[in-house]
Amino acid sequence: MPISTARLPLRAIAVCAGALLALYFLPAALSDYWLRALISVTALTVASLSVSLLFAQLGMVSLAQYGLLGVGGWFALRISHGLGVPFELALLTGGIAAALVGLVIGLPALRMRGLYLAIVTLMMAGAIQVLISAFGFPDGGSGILGKSTGTRMMMARPLLAQNDEAYLRYAIVIAGLCYLLVLAHVRGRPGRAWAMIRRSEVCALAGGVDITAYKVRAFALSGFLAGIAGGLLAGGVGQLDASAFPASQSIMLFALTIVGGAYSWLGPIVAGLLLRAFPALLNDFRIDGNIATMIFGLGLLHALITAPRGVAGQLADLVRTVRRLVGGKRKAES
Amino acid sequence: MIEIDDVTVQFGGVLGLNALTANLAEPVTGLVGPNGAGKTTLINVLSGFVQPTKGRVRVDGRDLKDIPIRKRAAFGLRRTFQNEQIVENLTAGDNVAAVLDNVPTDGQPRRLLIDKALDFVGLLARRDTPGRDLNAYQRRMLEIARATAGLPRLIMMDEPGAGLAQHESEHLRDVIKAIHGYCGAQVLLVDHDVDLISATCTATLVLDFGSPIAYGPTPNVLADPKVRAAYLGVLEEDAT
Repeated sequence: MPISTARLPLRAIAVCAGALLALYFLPAALSDYWLRALISVTALTVASLSVSLLFAQLGMVSLAQYGLLGVGGWFALRISHGLGVPFELALLTGGIAAALVGLVIGLPALRMRGLYLAIVTLMMAGAIQVLISAFGFPDGGSGILGKSTGTRMMMARPLLAQNDEAYLRYAIVIAGLCYLLVLAHVRGRPGRAWAMIRRSEVCALAGGVDITAYKVRAFALSGFLAGIAGGLLAGGVGQLDASAFPASQSIMLFALTIVGGAYSWLGPIVAGLLLRAFPALLNDFRIDGNIATMIFGLGLLHALITAPRGVAGQLADLVRTVRRLVGGKRKAES
Repeated sequence: MIEIDDVTVQFGGVLGLNALTANLAEPVTGLVGPNGAGKTTLINVLSGFVQPTKGRVRVDGRDLKDIPIRKRAAFGLRRTFQNEQIVENLTAGDNVAAVLDNVPTDGQPRRLLIDKALDFVGLLARRDTPGRDLNAYQRRMLEIARATAGLPRLIMMDEPGAGLAQHESEHLRDVIKAIHGYCGAQVLLVDHDVDLISATCTATLVLDFGSPIAYGPTPNVLADPKVRAAYLGVLEEDAT
């Protein structure tokens, strides 16, 4: 329909303006507890984006992504405490470090797929878990590991965003940039190459796609996103807990990405909300937040059986149904 | 120009190709033979999916051994598949673009090349249609469009006519005949449809058990008693 495309810029502008207003006013209206919860939600949205990138684009399951959050967080903290660089640089370093580790984790993916790849990446996550719990996160001390024996230092936040309210806005903007980075890849040459590889390797080879290079690139990009997520988390809390990055969290992250909907831009946001906002909500109602895990199990079952495109897909269906009903009514009126 | 020199392909105890030697120079060459004769194996050797156990293959004078499989598309070796390999979640235009990403384009604007390739097979109106919404015939045509984009030398088609309706195979016939004039590529056509072969191919190679049993101008080859016995035997029974 030519009319709808002509309207599109106006609508896009309206959406952007609405988003900016929400970005300004929403954090101001939240309590400290919810501010902190939503900062984590934003970081985990980026983490879930890194999982969905691999799954939706290449059909590959990586169960090491939460470990990569830890890697990103570790390097961001280390560089921030050690060199006192601006937050942005620390964040970027964390992203790049996790991208490199992600690239190593991706090497088995050149030969394996499906369950075997999932198991290998899960073992890598286990290795990262062991390293992190053995050495801990840097907290302002000296030496390579940066562990202090006395008081733990907090990570310096960005100059623009010293309080929680501003930091939430900051994190949302970073998450938006991560989405744009993924979009640029998916819409461009790498996205087309990934689509060919996903169709079949025979198809990709016949089209001259360098399968190795593009698989490695997907893992590196995915690792970068996970590292950014880890850095955002570190900046939000100020420090990271060595016991907070177990391999099991990687499985949870993957499961909830499926529940949220890996094929939609909305899916990772749903996954982020489920991971952090949902338990917070339960706590708000004085219900044990750990019950969330049981509900996640049911949600996964539901997604696998009835909603392969996850909650995001169901929301899209709902919008379409409502639109059809409203549109039908309009037609009947005229 | 395809020069096949003493090529043998062995799968365990089975010979896919048995010391095959042939020089294929015609712009459109047919490749026929009963099931298991080695037709697809030969295409797979040319596109690099199968390494010959022995012997060598040259295309336009270049030994294929020197060209790794992922560089063969850029060199100009293209193919379509017996089971079509259209990417369902890319549009028809992006399906062509995905190949153009990896092959030489002669400095022409990509948009123009995509439109040209789609127009050639009659799919220009479908440029923005996702692959999943194309029917079987359009998918085959899109595969041909992908193969013709970006300076191909040799386009290999593995049973492009299978399962098409009458008017669709007539269009396919016209497209195959036009390929050489359109982009200068040589065409190697595998099909069981003798009508399609005789309508499009100036020369035909007949394989049986991995060995050539006849090669020459298509009408002569199809009239060869050896070929009729090996491949068209049923027709001869009908004739008597």
